[in-house]
Amino acid sequence: MSPVVELRDVGKTYPGGVVALDAVSLAVGAGELVAIAGPSGSGKSTMLHLIGTLDRPSGGTVLVEGRDVSLLSDRRLSALRARRIGFVFQQFHLAAGVSALDNVADGLLYGGVPQAQRRRRARRALERVGLGHRLGHRPHQLSGGEKQRVAIARAVVGEPAMLLADEPTGALDSASGAGVLDLLRGLAGSGTAVIVITHDRDIAAALPRRVRMRDGRIVRDETGTEADR
Amino acid sequence: MTGDAATRPDLPATPPGAPPPGRGGDEGEAAPARLGPRDVLRVGAAGLRARPLRVFLSALGIAIGIAAMIGVVGISTSSRAQLQATLDRLGTNLLTVAPGRDFFGDDAKLPVDTVPMISRIEHVRSVSGTGKLDVKVYRNDRIPEGESGGISVLAARLDLPRTVGLGTVAGRWLNAGTGRYPAVVLGSASADRLGVAAPGAQVWLGSQWFTVVGILAPNDLAPEFDSAALVGWDVAAARLGFDGHPTTVYTRAEKDAVEDVRELLAATANPRSPNEIEVSRPSDALAAENATDEAFTGLLLGLGGVALLVGGVGVANTMVISVLERRAEIGLRRSLGATRGRSGSSSSPSRSCSPRSAGSAASRSASRSPPSSR
Repeated sequence: MSPVVELRDVGKTYPGGVVALDAVSLAVGAGELVAIAGPSGSGKSTMLHLIGTLDRPSGGTVLVEGRDVSLLSDRRLSALRARRIGFVFQQFHLAAGVSALDNVADGLLYGGVPQAQRRRRARRALERVGLGHRLGHRPHQLSGGEKQRVAIARAVVGEPAMLLADEPTGALDSASGAGVLDLLRGLAGSGTAVIVITHDRDIAAALPRRVRMRDGRIVRDETGTEADR
Repeated sequence: MTGDAATRPDLPATPPGAPPPGRGGDEGEAAPARLGPRDVLRVGAAGLRARPLRVFLSALGIAIGIAAMIGVVGISTSSRAQLQATLDRLGTNLLTVAPGRDFFGDDAKLPVDTVPMISRIEHVRSVSGTGKLDVKVYRNDRIPEGESGGISVLAARLDLPRTVGLGTVAGRWLNAGTGRYPAVVLGSASADRLGVAAPGAQVWLGSQWFTVVGILAPNDLAPEFDSAALVGWDVAAARLGFDGHPTTVYTRAEKDAVEDVRELLAATANPRSPNEIEVSRPSDALAAENATDEAFTGLLLGLGGVALLVGGVGVANTMVISVLERRAEIGLRRSLGATRGRSGSSSSPSRSCSPRSAGSAASRSASRSPPSSR
């Protein structure tokens, strides 16, 4: 099974000589649920940006669905992000003053989908995350967990091949966090590659595959047995 | 590689039979979609919809600014027009010609035909003159000779009121008839001093009885007429020993040509010896008018400049805040698949800037510090 995303000896050096990633290799296949854990400054976010094609590596190769990202123009990369990659952020980043339905529909904005269809699919995505009764609510009328579920609905409304979540539970209480994790687990079960960045050991331990990072390197990559309960 | 909708047993909310969305052919996948104009507008207006109060206040501020600008310009323009009208009424185009002194320091005289000669100058609208008489006017024949009250007796041409702008408060100005007979028009101050309240009274002028036919209104432009008694040119020559030489010639010139006319006046009034002529400066009102014009223009420019600066800073402020507020959105929109140009970051000076700002917004913006600043 060819991986959805693959990093081959990927390095990232920021101007000023700061090495954020140092020859990292990683492959994530469809349906996998991976936790990337590590202290802050260990290169987690940089790796997420490289996987999500928001940033380009200084060295090495990033392959998304077998395509070399460095060979794609910005327009092609954007199209790739619009259709194959979904993002979830710690701070949700929902548009204020816009209903949950339209927030989710924005996930298809750059995919070339007509608005009526965007709405229809957004409704379906919201029902999938259990918010079918909150379609018209604005972000400030939603709880933190609900906001994150709206954000997840926005990320998956385009049926992406992979979902990147950057501390998705960081701003949530444990109950909402568990709900969000269940949702991610369900998505992985349906065939989406889900990559979760976290610095919370408990959350990392609850996921089937755990990648530990330190100082820009992968120090451990284990496919859990005891956590995979 | 990834499952399609049909292979997702654990997502019951997905309607069965739904077409696998977001799956074009391979070429469709790689080509970026174009945003329709409606979507561009919708995305652009999202910030407006999210903050209707700011939109309202910004619009109100700009409206008030424009209204204030128009108000300031309008008020100062209209008050300038009013001031100019006032100055015009004062007669900024009035020039007076008077005899000066000759080379030997003796009093000179204007030629008898000064008035018709000046009237032939181009751009002269009207000319008139007065001649000072060597007589005094008294209330009656019993008043001692010394108590003349400072009233000067002038022989006046009949067109004097038109040129100088005199009006009467009672009675009327001299005409071709009364100008030949002992009739007198009194200035407002002289009427007071002589105790004449209404036309018809008689005054002792040059040892003869003259009948008052009119009383002049006070005149700002030529105050010398307030304390004067004016008699006709003809009767002055016939009864008061007037030699016909005017002592003051009033000239109204066209406003644009005041300076030109002034240059010609002396030579025209007395071609034989122009040096013996004294021509008044164009009245100070003209200088005032010019100065006012300049001052108002400067004031307006200053006001406009300050208003523009203040308004511009305000508007720029709002725009910067709006942009700052929505900058976090750039990262989000990039992650949703907006191209660099679409997300509005195409103008970033350095290429590394955009991913950085996108990245910082897209990541845990609160806790992440940019790698380069570590």
